[in-house]
Amino acid sequence: MRKTVFVVLGFVCAILSYFTIVTAEKAFRSDWQLPQTSEPTVAKYRLVLITQELETDFCNKVGAGALEQAQNDGASLEVWGSYGKNQTDFLKKIEIAIHSKVDGIIVQGLDTDEFKDLTKIKAAFYGIPIVTVANDVPMTESLRRTYVGSDQYRAGKMIAEQLLSDMGTAGKVILISDNHQAYYQKQRLNGIEDVLVDYPNVQTVYAETPDTREQVIAITQDLMNQLPDVDAFVAVNANIAGDMIREIERRSRVAPYHIYSFDDGPESLSLLMDGKLDGMIEQSPEMMGKISVSLIMEWLRGETVPLDMNGYLTDIRMLKAKDTR
Amino acid sequence: MKSIQQKIWMLATVVLFFMAAIWIGLTYYNQKTQNQYNDILQRYLRMNEVTGASQQMIADLNNYLLSPSPANLNKLEQDKEKIRIAKYDVYGLSNAENDIALTNYVNLIDSLVETTDRSLMFQSERETEASKKAFSEATRISIYISEMNLTLLDTELKTYDRFYRGIIEQSEEFNKLGIWLLLLITFLLLLFTYWFSSSITRPVKKLTQAANQLSKGRFDLQIEVESNDEIAFLAMMFDRMRININNLISEIQQKAQLENELQQNKLLLQESQLLSLQSQINPHFLFNTLDTLSKKAYLEGSEETSDLLVSVAGMLRYNLKRLDKSVTLYEEVNVIRQYMDIQKARFTERLQFHMDIDESCLHVQIPGLTLQPIVENAVIHAVEPEADGGVIWFRIIDGPELVTIEIEDDGPGMTEHKIKQILEGHLVPTEGHATGIGFSNVVKRLRLFYGNEDVMNIESVMGQGTKVVMQIPKTRRTDYDNKAPYRG
Repeated sequence: MRKTVFVVLGFVCAILSYFTIVTAEKAFRSDWQLPQTSEPTVAKYRLVLITQELETDFCNKVGAGALEQAQNDGASLEVWGSYGKNQTDFLKKIEIAIHSKVDGIIVQGLDTDEFKDLTKIKAAFYGIPIVTVANDVPMTESLRRTYVGSDQYRAGKMIAEQLLSDMGTAGKVILISDNHQAYYQKQRLNGIEDVLVDYPNVQTVYAETPDTREQVIAITQDLMNQLPDVDAFVAVNANIAGDMIREIERRSRVAPYHIYSFDDGPESLSLLMDGKLDGMIEQSPEMMGKISVSLIMEWLRGETVPLDMNGYLTDIRMLKAKDTR
Repeated sequence: MKSIQQKIWMLATVVLFFMAAIWIGLTYYNQKTQNQYNDILQRYLRMNEVTGASQQMIADLNNYLLSPSPANLNKLEQDKEKIRIAKYDVYGLSNAENDIALTNYVNLIDSLVETTDRSLMFQSERETEASKKAFSEATRISIYISEMNLTLLDTELKTYDRFYRGIIEQSEEFNKLGIWLLLLITFLLLLFTYWFSSSITRPVKKLTQAANQLSKGRFDLQIEVESNDEIAFLAMMFDRMRININNLISEIQQKAQLENELQQNKLLLQESQLLSLQSQINPHFLFNTLDTLSKKAYLEGSEETSDLLVSVAGMLRYNLKRLDKSVTLYEEVNVIRQYMDIQKARFTERLQFHMDIDESCLHVQIPGLTLQPIVENAVIHAVEPEADGGVIWFRIIDGPELVTIEIEDDGPGMTEHKIKQILEGHLVPTEGHATGIGFSNVVKRLRLFYGNEDVMNIESVMGQGTKVVMQIPKTRRTDYDNKAPYRG
């Protein structure tokens, strides 16, 4: 009896002490440490990349390339930006960056007065170098150090050439851009028009549309009503390509039309995959990010002063729907 | 040896130790957690402080621009100082995650101060427009600071997410630990208390059992208690008491036996004395008469009759005197001679008596009238009934420690049963003895005198004779001797 009680109690105690020890180990183990407080790294260059459309494929690639290069160069880089081309937000970010006295700003160019004001006066006042990326704003208007991105004029030309080779030298073409008159859109248009001007049989209709979905649809309808026998569409601003194509689809099949656009829109790649876009200009966003960071670092370290005003152009190539299949 | 008090102290100490350990652990952990919480709260508070200060500064700047009084300016200066202190506080909060945001934050603060200064400068130069513009810029920066603050707090939350969850998990684990610990301690205490209590009660129970046995009168069981405290001591004492009681009892029994023996001896003596008193009707008259008869017989020329009368008188005198005193063997032998003279006169040729005595041992002490009754017995049983008479041998043989006395006859002998009866003292003495002292009386007196049961032995063969052998020690038992003077 006595022995049994002892054995049972001892057994219970052993089990309980096992659980107690296990729990105590968990409770007192501090594998979670407060994040190490580091001395402010003054020597490190602080760069900011500000894009207009965060979380789009294009901007993500630019950001990724820039971050990679920044890591290589030992600079700290933050990617800021607005969502869905929200200009107020975008400009605010630039202003914050300037007031935060970052060492360099890499920004997607925006062809507006506020943007130019900020870059020209504010940034210059604080002595912060600005590099435009992807979309350019002329040097004279923005006091940017350089531009890194595609040659938009050449991109326009390539689109036009592709159009001609697909459609032939005669036909009706609708060109749609947004109504912001952005510098890069103008360049693209110039490129297209410079090619098509040699082909008198190609009739072009140019339209501008506000950003909203309804407007895009309305304009597209309007144009198709004007030109029922249209052969080709070119969405100069890639953002409107999706809405435009959906409107065309509503009316008839998409296949007979030759539709072209650029890759810097949110839907561009999926449209091309679906075969709705016949061709798309593919830019090199990662290279843009990389080169822009490395250039600004070179400038900051005084290795290349001044930078090439005309800009550093990255690769572009034509991506056809046929190739992707 | 551990005392019960020590054991209780030990139990209390163990319990106290457990409690203290748990208390210290809890306090330590609590302190640690509190510190962590304080750190975290401090971080948030410091980050927020800047926002508050910047907003306050904008408000004061606005006031000053509207009514530029020294008091307002003073306020503004205070705000600036406050914001500078807040800025240095914020410096210390940087870590790998929020390094950039924090630097931006700090630079924004600088920008705010600069813009404020610019606004003040324009104001002093009466350039109201520029001053207004700078003010609106400052306002914007202040808003940016608020936003940046939010961003910072957001980053902070993200960075510390795992940490906070860790704290929550840990506190949950701690609750569990509390329960386990409570259970463990409960059972440990149960175990310990059980062991402790049984270590006290078990020996007590054994002791109780032993006491029970003792009270029932069983003094032969040894008391064993396996313990190392006072109970064991108690048990030891108890056992000693038991042994002492045992010894006392056996001593009392011995004494009682001794008393018994003495009583018997007294009774026998009284019996002999009574018998002798009965026959003691004026012995002096008898002796005188016998003496007169002896002289008369001698004068009348009957010398033999005269000698016989002298023998009878001597024997009677001896008989009366020497009953309760020890005498020497020599005196005893003399009495036997006188007795035999008388008997020879009676039986003449029918009685043949042979004596063989070692003279060197006649000094040995022996109770009075012990040999004569035996010889008389032999005469009565072996000579008297036989028409041809009989032969009686009387021998005293010296030995190194014992003197052997043999009385032998060639009578009809007796049965084993009778011998046993005689030796055990059951046989009622028959009438006809000269001294009135029977065989059994002699046997008992000899045994009492020497304290030895084997003093007398009887060998008998039916039809051939009986031999009584007495082994008398040369030295008497001392204790009997010591007690002899107290005899009544």
